[in-house]
Amino acid sequence: MADEFMKGFGLFSVAALVWMISASWYRTPSFESTRQLVAAPPEEPGTVFDTLGIFLGDLMFWTALLGAFTFWVIIPAGRQAREALVVDE
Amino acid sequence: MSDDNQPDARTDGGTGIVPPDDETPTWSERKSRRAGLPRLTYEYFERARREDQDLREQSTYVERDVLGFPTWPHELIRNLALTSFFVGMLLLLSATLPPHIGNPANPSSTPAIILPDWYLYWSFGLLKLGDLNPALSLLGEQKLMADRTYGVLANVVIVGAIAIVPFLNKGSARRPVEQPFWAAVGMGGVTFAFTMSMLSIQNIMPMNVSLLFDLTFLAPIVVGAITYAVLKTMREGYMYDLNRRYYRLRPPNRPWPTTTTVPTAARGATWRSRCGSTRRLPCSRR
Repeated sequence: MADEFMKGFGLFSVAALVWMISASWYRTPSFESTRQLVAAPPEEPGTVFDTLGIFLGDLMFWTALLGAFTFWVIIPAGRQAREALVVDE
Repeated sequence: MSDDNQPDARTDGGTGIVPPDDETPTWSERKSRRAGLPRLTYEYFERARREDQDLREQSTYVERDVLGFPTWPHELIRNLALTSFFVGMLLLLSATLPPHIGNPANPSSTPAIILPDWYLYWSFGLLKLGDLNPALSLLGEQKLMADRTYGVLANVVIVGAIAIVPFLNKGSARRPVEQPFWAAVGMGGVTFAFTMSMLSIQNIMPMNVSLLFDLTFLAPIVVGAITYAVLKTMREGYMYDLNRRYYRLRPPNRPWPTTTTVPTAARGATWRSRCGSTRRLPCSRR
């Protein structure tokens, strides 16, 4: 169980760090704005690198959420379900 | 109990043969680490463990459960790891985050939002408790004191409450389950500091101010109640008394029962059932 927690936590923290870096470039109109890190990204990114950065930020956002959810909820729940279903011999 | 009458009871000395304890790796564990970084790491800490074992054998002190750890490598490896992490994080963030140093402050114009540094938000929030300042009908619906005086008094009350806590509870608990009430008080206090900080930046909080004001005082109570319930539930099945027993000084010339070298919570179950009682003393001392 501890391993699963650490895997989920590692995914969450690393992906959230990368998301924060991407969002600080592309989703932050101003650091004094209340919409920093969550504002909409620019409609037309200047270069292909900007497009990649925005995509990476979105990817990391969902990686953080789904990764933690997978290791903290889905996998332990699956194991519990399997233990409940399989009859001990 | 006749052993206690001997004048100089010492546990060290003797044959020098030390029976393996729980930290001693088994032979299969020693064989399983053969190459690469696992082997290097293993040899490193195995050497440290061996040095520790030698120190224990050579020691003339009465053996305890915890003899102490050498600074190298235990303390320094940990400190170097923590330092490397924070230095690396500083380098990463300073290299990747966009710079956001704005224009220099204009001394001739007051900014719209004035805030102290973030760690003083809780105190700043306490200055905004004017809504709680009661208007007394005796005084003709007049307030007894000005709102600003009320805010300063709120600071005095909060700081005084924090200062009183050490006199009410000495903090002898090793972990929160041992004292669920005080753990709940602590969690409520932390939550209150957080919500009060949120109240202090109500100008830029994307939330209804009156709702925020209510949440400031309700959330700590809810969090404290949840903490108390969870810890009280955990405590039922938690054999913390066995662990507490383990960390006490081991009595001289009287080792643990040989069947259970380390009474962790898991082994405590068998130990307990074998003794047939929940008394703290091990079987051999009764």
